[in-house]
Amino acid sequence: MTENGVASVLLIEDNQGDADLVRLRLVESKSDVHVNCVPRLSDALACLDLETPSLVLLDLNLPDSHGAETFRRIMQKAPNVPVVILSGQDDEALAIKAVHQGVQDYLVKGDITSKQLERALRYAVERQGLLRSLEITRKQQLEFKNQFLSHVSHELRTPLTCIHQYVTLLLDGLAGPMAADQTDHLRTVLKSVNQLHAMIRDLLEATRADSGKLRIDQRCIDIGELMQQAVAMMRPTAAEKHVGLQAAIGQTIPLVYADPGRTLEVLINLIDNAIKFTPPAGSVAVLASIVETDPTAVYLSVSDTGCGIPLDSLPLVFERLYQDPDSVDDRRTGLGLGLYIAKEIVTLHGGRMWAVSEPGSGSTFSFTLPLYSLAKLLLPVIAYQGRLREALVLVRVELTPLSKSPRGSWKETCQHCLELLRRCVYVDKDLVLPPAGSSGPDETFFVVASTDMARVSIMMDRINDQVGGLPQLKASATLRVTAEMIPSPPAADPSTLEQQVREVAASVNELVQLSKHNFTEKEN
Amino acid sequence: MRTANNSEEQPMNRAKIMVVDDDPDLRHALSLRLRANHFDTVNVCDGYSAIAMAQKEKPHLIILDLGLPAGDGFVVLKNLRHHPALSVIPVIVLTARDPEGNEKRTREAGAVAFFQKPVDNEELLAAIRANLQAGWGWGEALPSKPS
Repeated sequence: MTENGVASVLLIEDNQGDADLVRLRLVESKSDVHVNCVPRLSDALACLDLETPSLVLLDLNLPDSHGAETFRRIMQKAPNVPVVILSGQDDEALAIKAVHQGVQDYLVKGDITSKQLERALRYAVERQGLLRSLEITRKQQLEFKNQFLSHVSHELRTPLTCIHQYVTLLLDGLAGPMAADQTDHLRTVLKSVNQLHAMIRDLLEATRADSGKLRIDQRCIDIGELMQQAVAMMRPTAAEKHVGLQAAIGQTIPLVYADPGRTLEVLINLIDNAIKFTPPAGSVAVLASIVETDPTAVYLSVSDTGCGIPLDSLPLVFERLYQDPDSVDDRRTGLGLGLYIAKEIVTLHGGRMWAVSEPGSGSTFSFTLPLYSLAKLLLPVIAYQGRLREALVLVRVELTPLSKSPRGSWKETCQHCLELLRRCVYVDKDLVLPPAGSSGPDETFFVVASTDMARVSIMMDRINDQVGGLPQLKASATLRVTAEMIPSPPAADPSTLEQQVREVAASVNELVQLSKHNFTEKEN
Repeated sequence: MRTANNSEEQPMNRAKIMVVDDDPDLRHALSLRLRANHFDTVNVCDGYSAIAMAQKEKPHLIILDLGLPAGDGFVVLKNLRHHPALSVIPVIVLTARDPEGNEKRTREAGAVAFFQKPVDNEELLAAIRANLQAGWGWGEALPSKPS
């Protein structure tokens, strides 16, 4: 039996009689299998921590766990170990259900012969082995597909770049004057080059989403500003097609916690689609609102007065490579990956995306993004073992450009400083507050540090060293690092931890606002 | 004084840009565009020549590809930082590779900007001007005032 891989069995059975019987049957089959018998689920989980048996024989009803929960816990703990269930006469139905959910086999107690047992164990191990190799092959194929797509897309980019450069050279008249129709032809070439470029970008993005490599950088953003930006960018496209394009904000929307670049990408994708499927004289509206039943998110939607989506296609629009089967050729400018990528981006933010449509009168694509909550971000950092940390300090890192109008790469310099700053703090004890999406020429970053004043000076030295040592910064700005205590909520207060964190968040917000205010006054 | 044929003589106040890319057609197109925008250009095709040429020509700015023979872009960046005279030259990375990961890595290695190919020409020119105006490499490397 050992040559087939059943070298050790973890027997989880609380009835001593049943356990002895199974042992006996195993010995009868003349195997030299090692049996480890435990009566409780907790013991079994502890055993699985120490070593991995060839197989688990499991009674479903144990003193500390019953029914389906028992095998779920075991399979969660040791997903690669085959499980065979020992069922009673009365719970065979449950055993069959377990087989559907990934258990390899079941044996009915009282009916077990040694031959049957040996056979069941042998094939359980075989099948588990096959399943595992299938899974490994599947992962390898997925990985290969993603690598292949990524490689091909990159290689396509090089000649495309060359075409792009020469076409723009000609169009800009750098190779001599061009006749009007020549210019027109070249513009068509450029349009196609840009389309091809967008397709390659989508392909790479979708591949990244597939392999879990899509990244977002969440900040505090003014969603209204972002909507206006998206609308402004899409206005020429809408005007060309004589489609109206408006943004409306239902009420005052608090700051949103999202990646501004990615959010813009999602909005532009939805607006672009909406324009594409709306006939001339129709309109597209972008709306932001807060829904009372869900106060932690902002609801964004893009509605059009276009042809709508047939009800049976509605669930498919977010699928990869979906193309409207009825669309005419000029609408088919992409690969059908845009909505898939948009939905992935929203999901990464913890939001949802969905579509509703009235065929013939229009569609609405909606998504949610989380609202910014300082308390939510602070909680894992300033709370430890169910209590607030003893001392909290707010560190302020001010970058002031040397000249009134900083040069073009100032934004990038700030971004780089922020990245360095994030590396100067302890991930689980300090929080670099997300910067506001749009910043003026001065940039101030804040860190909430779970430590006292004495020790925070070490952090400040580190910041001065690393951020201050950045050559780009040295050349263009001055750095000032200061710190102050954050008043802690009264300790005797029997308030909950969440309440205390909210109070700290309020104090931090106040200090941040105050320092921004001081800054503005100083400027004036 | 500027002469009609200025390929030999270095005219005043024209910044010199070194283009490092292993694709000769792309190098050529980039140079044409840069010269049309009143920059002088020097072209090199690999990592090794990039350092040698930078020492010889002292460009005011470098446009650098990442995938290069004889020392890739990261090696070039590292080597530039090791030469006191070259470490002040701003480097703009222009590559087909993804910004993800690469952008951060090149910036940490000292690059001032990162563009993915195909690049918007106006954006690239704006970045060049921004980094020249900042005074990087201007003072030391520009020829002295006309006498």
